[in-house]
Amino acid sequence: MSEKPVKGERRVFMTGNEVCAWAALAAEADIMYGYPITPQTDIMQYWTRLGPKFGRKFLQTEDEISAGFTTVGGVIAGKRAFSATTGPGNTLFQEPMSMAEMMRIPTVVIIPQRGGPSTATVIYSQQEVTMTTFGGNGEGFRIVYSTAGHQDLYDYTIKAFNTAWKYRFPTFVLGDGYQAKMREPLTIYDPAERGIKMVETEPLVGLPGTPGVDRPAQYLRNTYNTEEELYDVVMDIAKDYEKAAPEIIEWQDFDTDTEMDVLILAHGVVSRSAQGALPLLKDEGIRAGHFRPITLRPMPEEQMRRAAAKAKRILVVESAYGQFLKLVKQSLYGMDKPIDTLLRPGVGVTAEEIVDRIKEGR
Amino acid sequence: MRVVEAFVGEYASGKSENAINRSLELLSQNQKVTLVDLDTVEPFYTLRPLKKALQEMGLNVIAWSPEQTMGLGEAGSLLNPEMIWALKNEGSIVLDIGYGVHGAKIFNLIEGADTDPNLQVYAVVSIARPMTATKEDIVRYIKDLGNVDGLINNTHLGSETTPDVIEEGAWVITEAARELGLPVMYTAVCQELADKFANTDKMGNPIKIIRRFMPQAFW
Repeated sequence: MSEKPVKGERRVFMTGNEVCAWAALAAEADIMYGYPITPQTDIMQYWTRLGPKFGRKFLQTEDEISAGFTTVGGVIAGKRAFSATTGPGNTLFQEPMSMAEMMRIPTVVIIPQRGGPSTATVIYSQQEVTMTTFGGNGEGFRIVYSTAGHQDLYDYTIKAFNTAWKYRFPTFVLGDGYQAKMREPLTIYDPAERGIKMVETEPLVGLPGTPGVDRPAQYLRNTYNTEEELYDVVMDIAKDYEKAAPEIIEWQDFDTDTEMDVLILAHGVVSRSAQGALPLLKDEGIRAGHFRPITLRPMPEEQMRRAAAKAKRILVVESAYGQFLKLVKQSLYGMDKPIDTLLRPGVGVTAEEIVDRIKEGR
Repeated sequence: MRVVEAFVGEYASGKSENAINRSLELLSQNQKVTLVDLDTVEPFYTLRPLKKALQEMGLNVIAWSPEQTMGLGEAGSLLNPEMIWALKNEGSIVLDIGYGVHGAKIFNLIEGADTDPNLQVYAVVSIARPMTATKEDIVRYIKDLGNVDGLINNTHLGSETTPDVIEEGAWVITEAARELGLPVMYTAVCQELADKFANTDKMGNPIKIIRRFMPQAFW
């Protein structure tokens, strides 16, 4: 049963959720734990249709709190485990994800964002940025990839497993309902054919040998007795996180190597509209560039600042009411740059709307 | 003689697009045509957002309009009585069925589906959809679907579609059809590529030119 689900590479036409299921298969994920919620349920529907042919497992839990904790459990048992959720499900996931942060558990969770707050809409938004990057009662020691389309969903779902297991932080693939349901072509491939070796997983408990004798004690804790103990642990995690950050950050620059009238900052699917706006702005004689962070955690701050330095003004565009803007301001703190905004909570943003916003000015 | 056709198949294979085009084709032959939304599986990309526009083109459309299911979110995929009695309408009828085996079970709820002498069920297939990419996959899938009278080649890669992609689909699907003992009704070609094809594909299946409506039907 070790037949490969994806052999070689092939151009196909899929919906975003399916892409995630295929990528997890190609990444040799062992088990998915899940609970249905629109618009991500197809991920588990495709996983359960395809998984059995390749000896993969699935468990539907009673709710998302359990889905998150069982994912943590699967990882602790040494399996390449993942889950998917969104909206109110993502809210419930914060309990188990806080544990994953505390205990450095390499979970992988795919989040196709829907409207918020609460039940809101089942359709689309970028309103789970705050929750996915800094959710729960943690310090945001998480890795978050914001995808902009199907090729990204495939590439980054595979990469998420490797980043998670190499650096040992809970890792998220942050998509949205539009990506989840829309259809477009992409190339699916066997990671091995592209020189991508899946990082080995290992059990985090029940290790062979005697602790203290053959190896150090493996002591997974999410609870501490004194303030000072907690301080030492959190500062240690922070140190590891900051050390890993330069190796993890990813971003894309568009026309940011020259002086700009305006720098557009956007992530995820909205970045496609920002990219589409650039030639339209050029036609209008406006010198515009676009910086797209691919990792929202850790944020490519230095690279964002470098692009921002060359622009007269900055425009932040998102399908939320300032969740990405908050991260931008955090990254650009101290820079004397006027920031304009195009905030559209739960609504898609077109290239033309970005152009109009820039033309209408301050 | 009236035409009664149902379009079944895998998720995102092109059922609704082909159902709309078939309805408009029949309309252009001066028939009275009823197009029925029978997708109770997937709330995205249904006929529902297009209802008004299609009615303005002259079709009788049985589907909830988005206003009628306000507030129901994805739970708006319910059956209404008009759908149950759809086959009692005069004139030709085109049924857009939800995906997969469970989608096809809707026939159990349609009055007269088991006895209508004209009902033809066509499976829309695209080999660019990984679950129906090979002859073996397609044969297995169609056998699971239940009663199917013919296949339709709707192979495409969206905006990246080339004639080669369509012809490769024609080849695989025609081989599968032969094994199943079913006809290939036609190969669908989008308007943009119409001039690249003659009347048939390389396997001898008729070409049907189709217009795109579904990109406007996300929600």
